[in-house]
Amino acid sequence: SHIQYERVGADVTMKCGSMDWDAAVTWMANGTDIDDSHLNGSYLILKNVDLTQSGQYSCYEGSSWHLKYQTTLRVGGCWKKLDVKERGKEVVPPKEPVLMCRSNNYPKGFYCSWHLPSPTYIPNIFNISVIHGTREMVCEKDVFPKNRCHIRYLQLFSTVKYKVTLTVTNALGKNSTSLTFDEFAIVKPDPPESVVAKPVPNNPRRLEVSWQNPSSWPDPESFPLKFFLRYRPLILDQWQHVELSDGTSHTITDAYAGKEYIIQVAAKDNDIGTWSDWSVAVHATPWTEEPKHLTTEVQITDPVSGLLAETGMIDGKKTAGRGLNGAVWLISRAVA
Amino acid sequence: MGTVALVGGPRLRSHVPTGDSWGIFAFLCAALCNLPAVPALNGTEELGAGQSIQKTYDLTRYLEHQLRTLAGTYLNYLGPPFNEPDFNPPRLARAERVPSATVDLDLWRGLTDNARLAANYRAYSRLLCYLRGLDGQVGAVELRHRLGHFCSSLQGLVLSIAGVMSSLGYPLPAGPAGPPLPPGSPAAPNDFLKKMDDFWLLKELQTWLWRSAKDFNRLKKKVPPAVVTLRLETRGF
Repeated sequence: SHIQYERVGADVTMKCGSMDWDAAVTWMANGTDIDDSHLNGSYLILKNVDLTQSGQYSCYEGSSWHLKYQTTLRVGGCWKKLDVKERGKEVVPPKEPVLMCRSNNYPKGFYCSWHLPSPTYIPNIFNISVIHGTREMVCEKDVFPKNRCHIRYLQLFSTVKYKVTLTVTNALGKNSTSLTFDEFAIVKPDPPESVVAKPVPNNPRRLEVSWQNPSSWPDPESFPLKFFLRYRPLILDQWQHVELSDGTSHTITDAYAGKEYIIQVAAKDNDIGTWSDWSVAVHATPWTEEPKHLTTEVQITDPVSGLLAETGMIDGKKTAGRGLNGAVWLISRAVA
Repeated sequence: MGTVALVGGPRLRSHVPTGDSWGIFAFLCAALCNLPAVPALNGTEELGAGQSIQKTYDLTRYLEHQLRTLAGTYLNYLGPPFNEPDFNPPRLARAERVPSATVDLDLWRGLTDNARLAANYRAYSRLLCYLRGLDGQVGAVELRHRLGHFCSSLQGLVLSIAGVMSSLGYPLPAGPAGPPLPPGSPAAPNDFLKKMDDFWLLKELQTWLWRSAKDFNRLKKKVPPAVVTLRLETRGF
């Protein structure tokens, strides 16, 4: 049997087999007569088909009722049903969007990112405009993440504020928000990268911390960063802080011996803007001595002669032995 | 200073009628500021260029902090809308007389050391003049005191920059500080526009101080380190 596939919204023309155009025919769909208004001669015309028009179509010759043609029409394709209510989630116009702008790559430019505080369950279109004084600037949309765009500074050290307006529109309504700021006010670097904390050999109260400038900061030579280090042992809640105006390393000298520490670093342009978020936390424990019983250097005095009997590394388990002159010695206390 | 009849300071200001003389005053100021600056710091100890730059940098940071308080107080004195944080007026043509720190990014990067220093020197010389003009009209004693103190510090900055330039062997910019004022430039026709002038002056001054920090950072790197201390001394701010 014959099956005919059509897309939703298409216009379908069915011919009654080999019958001429001007022959008298009757069309039926799923056993129901089809009105003559759908006919063009002997052709059946279905305009803008929808899913409900799927089914079996048959064509009979006028008087003899011979079946001349039969086909199954299947209407399908991609389409979206808009429900007013979808399983308890109501489709709504957008609420006031949340907008933020930041320069983490000063002096190159800045980016703005946005989102809706709650979902609308239908597609939304975001439109962003940036005005600097009298000039409108183009904010180039980022490929990823989606709700973000960036602007390159054409001029530096501007006294004129930037005004960024975000408008969100969907089928049910629109909303907007805007931000006005100075060039310097939005400078906030990304956190420092590759933070590493290491114990210092033979120094039970030290930890050596080093890090790198965030890779997004384009020109640390002309726009140097300063840093803020914070650290605490895991067992305490109180942080200790150190501010460093240069260099990308620091040695903590007051760590509690043997305690595991958590350490973080933040960055800021030396002169303008705000501090970055804290870096990823690193853990480190200061160097501790090896336990004493493993290797011990011992000096033994012969109890009889009072002379130095034997010195050197002694297996800790051995606590007695025979001295050079044959006298027996005992270890009562190891001396490191 | 001998041949100039007008003497800078309170006497000059008292001759200036308020509200009508901005243009004239500014012109006179430019003439005064045209005077050769104090010769290079021979009297003080011999500082390497590196140290002078560091000191100048520190001074810009100090001034920037001072200005924050001063500007807040002054804008309150001017009253609304000037003291509102959202106040974002269009820049009128008359504001173009105040030296602007705004510069094309690549141009700024490409400035020679000489050009960079000269731009700073010229800008602060003019800004100092304008600022001194402000002082004369302020009624509140406390504010006048603060303005006066700031002007002294700003003068110190101008001299510091001059010191750096001469220690590097650069000539001080000759001629009138900055572009010549257009002849017969209109004085503020009313009180509101006068306040606008003041607003833009403070804004440009603030921006210049931010820019100078970056200018001197670049200079720090390029000058061969003699005795360069990079660690900032905390001054309690």
